[in-house]
Amino acid sequence: MSRNWTAIRTVIAKDLRAVRRSKSITIPMISVPAVLLIVLPIGMGIFATSAPTEQMESALSSPIVREIVKPILELPSRERLVVLILGYMLSPLLLVIPLMVSAVLAADSFAGEKERRTLEGLLLLPIDDRDLFIAKVLGAFLPAVAITWICAVFYALICNAIAWPTLGRPFLPFTQWTITMLWVAPAVALLALGLLVIVSSKAKTTQEANQLGGAVILPLVFVAAAQSSGLMLAPVIGVLIAGAFVWALALGLITFNSRRFTRDRLASRA
Amino acid sequence: MVNSTAEPGFQRHRARNLGATTPITLFARQTVAVTAAISTTDLTRGFASGLALDGVTLSVEPGEVLALLGPNGAGKTTTVRMLNGLLAPHRGSSMVLGFDPAVDGNAVRERTGVLTENAGLDDRLTTRENLEFTARMRGFSPEDSRRRTDELLERFGMTERADDLTQGFSTGQRKRVALARALLHEPEVLFLDEPTSGLDPTGTRDVIELISGLAGEGRTIVLATHFLGEAGKLADRMAVLHRGRLMAFGPPDELARDLWQGIGAEIDCGGPIGEAKLATLRGLPGVIEASDHAEGVSLRVDDRATVPRIVAALVGLDVPVFGAEAHNPTLEDVYFAVEKRIEAEAGAPISDGFLARDRPRNAHDEDVS
Repeated sequence: MSRNWTAIRTVIAKDLRAVRRSKSITIPMISVPAVLLIVLPIGMGIFATSAPTEQMESALSSPIVREIVKPILELPSRERLVVLILGYMLSPLLLVIPLMVSAVLAADSFAGEKERRTLEGLLLLPIDDRDLFIAKVLGAFLPAVAITWICAVFYALICNAIAWPTLGRPFLPFTQWTITMLWVAPAVALLALGLLVIVSSKAKTTQEANQLGGAVILPLVFVAAAQSSGLMLAPVIGVLIAGAFVWALALGLITFNSRRFTRDRLASRA
Repeated sequence: MVNSTAEPGFQRHRARNLGATTPITLFARQTVAVTAAISTTDLTRGFASGLALDGVTLSVEPGEVLALLGPNGAGKTTTVRMLNGLLAPHRGSSMVLGFDPAVDGNAVRERTGVLTENAGLDDRLTTRENLEFTARMRGFSPEDSRRRTDELLERFGMTERADDLTQGFSTGQRKRVALARALLHEPEVLFLDEPTSGLDPTGTRDVIELISGLAGEGRTIVLATHFLGEAGKLADRMAVLHRGRLMAFGPPDELARDLWQGIGAEIDCGGPIGEAKLATLRGLPGVIEASDHAEGVSLRVDDRATVPRIVAALVGLDVPVFGAEAHNPTLEDVYFAVEKRIEAEAGAPISDGFLARDRPRNAHDEDVS
């Protein structure tokens, strides 16, 4: 069946316009990236560029650690700490952005329609269930990915600027970092979205969806942050496989949700 | 049959010769064949809480105004949702303008407009944005969306609020915008679900005038309401739902003949006359029923000629008579006769006042089904 892209685009544009006017959505969407992009890299970067290198040498002296952090050990010793902190320890936190943005937007898009009592009006329009679902998913997914990528560019610029006096060259992006941002981050956004759609179908309000979603998404945040530090140090194929795993999980969830996204089910709860 | 290739937008999709012939049932005794704009056969839908609609069979002719009456939870909203393809039937079927909403939901929704009980406007959008969004979703080009929105803003007196967020709007203003939205694409069938709930008297009057105008344009209208006043002013036929079952269906006067003997009479005595004098009236020839109220006496009599005899009897009883009026049974009379019948069958009162005879202020009860 052919998709009605005009209707899909119209729903997405309407949702994004409404979101831009909602402080409860825009504030967390601005404040979290601001902390991750500006406060943390500047604070940690200043520390890393001024800290004594002896402590770093001793921390990296264990044989196992030496094997894992080989890319860092190949650097001159005065560069190691700043690259380690900004490139390998902090930058994985960027994966929190697609998680958070897609979760917030999905809660507003799915549970929010019920809460605002606009869902029935939407269901009364001549648009296929599948098209409506695609519009709702893309309306959360595309901004989450776009914001993540914009944040990643800003993060790279800020980190390179902070590290420039020590390195005298840019160190971001490197291959694993780029693949994580371009391949893994969108999958993470879709995964969060898939989970939030399930949660939102049970919730009556955006707040309830966010609370329920928090319980589901927060552990994912910790897992993502913890695992993605490893991702940065893994071989390229490892990053690609990890991304593929998240994509498979996310697409499975989205497919499951799309089958349950029917007017009948929605109107029964509207 | 109607062409199924829908071209949304300004173009109207006329479907006059629909070929759907459905029997109308009037307490399962009379049947009339009509070519229906809407027809349902044994339409049934359940939820976890129980049956919301139970075997409803009815039809609505093109250009007709049908009042769907019943208290909260009677199944009115469920009926509207099923006829627009939002809810699928668990049993039975329906046809709207020649399409089955359960199969060709979009074809139905392209041709129908619905005013939902809560206006359902997105409060983070302006009036214009709400309308233009709907227009774009209904296939209008951006230019046509703007043009049509301007027309409707003008028609519904909302031009000055066009660029305001709908967040701070009164219920009346919200209903106007929602009605404009329901009419954007010139629908052939208009569903109005509790159009006056939550409105003050002025807002109610305005909305009823708007609906009267729409009915005058020859549009098929289904008016789901639990307020008899608005239904009485607008409806050609009435369908009474109770706990999901169709209890009565037909033109009010036909139902009246079935349910009501004689005609009604109101006599203004300036106050109640007391049980003893009422008993005297009840004993007069031609009086079927008599009761008193705050302004005088309400009667049902066999013939208009009985009214002067009653007035004379009251004067003879030293009761002042300030006025007397005979009237044919109203939709309200018929409705309460139906209610009485349901109560008799159930063996107990259905509720504290099945429907609103007098409009409550600030009423905004939600139909749970």
